[in-house]
Amino acid sequence: MRRKTLHLVITFNTTTEAMAMEDLCKSRHAPGRMIPVPQSISAGCGLCWCAQPDDRETLQALMQEAGLEPENITECMV
Amino acid sequence: MKKTINCMGMACPLPVVNAKKAFEEFTETGTLIVQVDNETAVNNVSKLAARYGFAASSRQTGDKAYEIEIEVTPEKAQQQEQAAPGCGGGPLVVVLSSNVMGTGDDKLGKALMKSYIFALTNVDPVPDTILCYNGGAFLTTEGSDSLEDLQNLEAAGTKIITCGTCLNFYGLTDKVKVGTVGNMYDIADILSHAGRIVRP
Repeated sequence: MRRKTLHLVITFNTTTEAMAMEDLCKSRHAPGRMIPVPQSISAGCGLCWCAQPDDRETLQALMQEAGLEPENITECMV
Repeated sequence: MKKTINCMGMACPLPVVNAKKAFEEFTETGTLIVQVDNETAVNNVSKLAARYGFAASSRQTGDKAYEIEIEVTPEKAQQQEQAAPGCGGGPLVVVLSSNVMGTGDDKLGKALMKSYIFALTNVDPVPDTILCYNGGAFLTTEGSDSLEDLQNLEAAGTKIITCGTCLNFYGLTDKVKVGTVGNMYDIADILSHAGRIVRP
């Protein structure tokens, strides 16, 4: 079993938005990956974007630029 | 007890079938020699012996002639039978027959499959084997978003096998990045001896 470490987790209101985040980050070579929302987090959809805590500002700026609104941005063990 | 079976000229999987039948005839520890005429049969019979926990060695005895010498121990064979399919005690095999999970929207299906493979890295214990065939071959090859997760699973002890025929069909033969390449005999053998098969 994989060892969990602290990650930045960005959740969205819909699955479509989570998938749009993946498209956006891939096209801009932004850090992170899509994962199922960790069970320790309450969220409205099952997929989220997961990155390193240091990537917070980069990803926030990218989402703002693309008009993509997250439901929540938090840090947890993933 | 010492027994020799001649499987020369037999197409796969007959040498394996005959070797398995011969194992059952041993009531005490002894030596079984299987004669075959191709390397694939050598590999498949050797794998069968390994699955039973029997020591095996092979040698080439001539042009297109090989012998596999197997130390047959009936007690080990009984243990193997007890862990056979149906009792739930055999290996856990996850079958990834597509790079999408479920039917409906393929983009969603791909996202779900990636999520599933990630989630598998959190499950304890990890699967014994992951079989990837047909569209599942895209998961173990260059460009797959699941490579890191599959590499983690492999490091944790999961055997990952991708169907060689499928890799060839999709032009991915040289692009495998995790696990090994197997043929349909491997796939049939693993599925037949699985305790549980999970196909997401």
